[in-house]
Amino acid sequence: MTTLTLADALETVPAVRKRARRREVITAVVMLAPSLLFLAAFTYWPIIRSLIYGFYDVQLGSSAIFFVGWENYQRLWHDALFWQSLRNTVVYMVITVPTSIGLALLLAVALDRKLCGTGLYRSVFFYPVMVPSVAAGMVWVFLYAPGYGPINGLMEMLGLPKLEWLYDRQWALPAIIFMSIWKYAGYFMLILLAALQLVPRDLYEAARLDGVSGWRQLIHITVPLISPTLYFVVIIGVLHSYQIFDYVFVMTQGGPADATNVLTFYIYQNAFQFQDIGTASAIANILLLVVIGLIAIVALTLGRRVHYMGR
Amino acid sequence: MIGTRFFFARSRWMHWLLLPAMLLWLSPLAWMLVTSFKTRAEIFDPAAGVLPQVLQWGNYPAALAVAPFGTYLINSLMVTGGILIAQLTTITLAAYAFARLRFPGRDLLFGLFLLQVMFPIYATFLTNFITVRELGLLNSLWALMVPFIASGYGTFMLRQAFRQVPQDLADAARLDGCGHWATLWHVYLPLVKPTLIAFGMISVVTHWNDYMWPLLVTNSESVRTLPIGLGLLAKADSGADWPRLMAATMVVIAPLMLLFLIFQRRFVDSFMHAGLK
Repeated sequence: MTTLTLADALETVPAVRKRARRREVITAVVMLAPSLLFLAAFTYWPIIRSLIYGFYDVQLGSSAIFFVGWENYQRLWHDALFWQSLRNTVVYMVITVPTSIGLALLLAVALDRKLCGTGLYRSVFFYPVMVPSVAAGMVWVFLYAPGYGPINGLMEMLGLPKLEWLYDRQWALPAIIFMSIWKYAGYFMLILLAALQLVPRDLYEAARLDGVSGWRQLIHITVPLISPTLYFVVIIGVLHSYQIFDYVFVMTQGGPADATNVLTFYIYQNAFQFQDIGTASAIANILLLVVIGLIAIVALTLGRRVHYMGR
Repeated sequence: MIGTRFFFARSRWMHWLLLPAMLLWLSPLAWMLVTSFKTRAEIFDPAAGVLPQVLQWGNYPAALAVAPFGTYLINSLMVTGGILIAQLTTITLAAYAFARLRFPGRDLLFGLFLLQVMFPIYATFLTNFITVRELGLLNSLWALMVPFIASGYGTFMLRQAFRQVPQDLADAARLDGCGHWATLWHVYLPLVKPTLIAFGMISVVTHWNDYMWPLLVTNSESVRTLPIGLGLLAKADSGADWPRLMAATMVVIAPLMLLFLIFQRRFVDSFMHAGLK
């Protein structure tokens, strides 16, 4: 900033400056206090407390706690169910996020043009975002129902084998993944559409005159130019995948045979079914690590290649 | 911007891809609606058609009678409204401090605010549950609201908006003798109304639909919200009475869907620009 404002000019007087500065700090403290109070109580303290409890034997509903060192983590290391839910969590994120964003990108590109009915398409792809997760989960339980569900009806009509879907160990997690794509692709599509609208049109015009094909325009012009938004959407996608708890809780309760058990649900089971807060905290801490790790991977791979317009 | 907007010269063939996708996207909602008017026998009868023989309007009153949906609705309104009002207050103050005040440790603190975006309630529900129980708030409407009163995401969005307000305007207010509080109220807030509305819409959709946290901290009818009531009904029914359950689902999703239909542009714009400004 090189422009000199009045406030800056006044600040050249030492006494005025000192008093103004102090008042500014006090104002800032007062303004930040409400947020900080609630962040401290319901974001920072829970994380710190969870890190501590990971090393303790804590029972739900009892105030006695015993230090056990790394025991909770050692037990998890030998717990096949923990590894299974860790694997399910990662599989869910790694498939759902790229697939729904890829689809969202195609939809956004398709809708970023003069086409009759664009508004209608946009609303239709977006509406699942506003459906409560519990309602979405229930409807899909019905759609997936083995005996009378419409999806199996459709499969039969197409001459495909009927599946047990949520009751089948192999298909339960893919079924939840498919539902999640339906639920979130529209959200990512909207954010990407906003970014596409900022891409200068003459670039496409020039590419077209040079005979560059549609797909190559998408890969060489569109994607690089909206890469900051794509990066943002990937992060949002990873964070949204926490919500799989709701679907697992409503649709499968982690089954069949823990084929859809995920870390958030396993935390819930340990804490509220086995009353074991220590182990539950240890799992929660590992979940934090997984999310931080995934975001770090995204930042190091995608973040580096992000191209900022005009910089 | 006429004609060749984007990567193919003529794009009418796009409909051939988009129409089937749209039907696929709509089908769960359509199935829900159709089912809510069927009889139970029609669900399990493979010979029955896709549409109900006779519209069973009675499924709706039947669904509303099995649980106190009126209480759930009031609770949902109070919790969502309460969170919104509290959030708008906390993020306005914090965002102003981050955008326009100078104080030591500002960037570090801002980073700490953003941390909340990475650790939502799904990551901290366990120890938050213990805290809320220790505070004696379990099974009260307060429990449903307190974890969401501060918002790192909202603070971030609003800080960006405040920063785009020209400094000259603030200086003019200063010359007229306005302090920070008056400047914030009379100059900044009116100018960032679109951002406030955008954040408000996202907040309302999020917390109206919240499921996991209310599930953990409520255990009596008097404090349950609509999604929790719906979940309980589903559990009690366990697939026996799909028409009634789908009618209840329609009732629960109706308020947001209607708002969406009426204020479509507003909603779409809010979510569209949520991450960019």
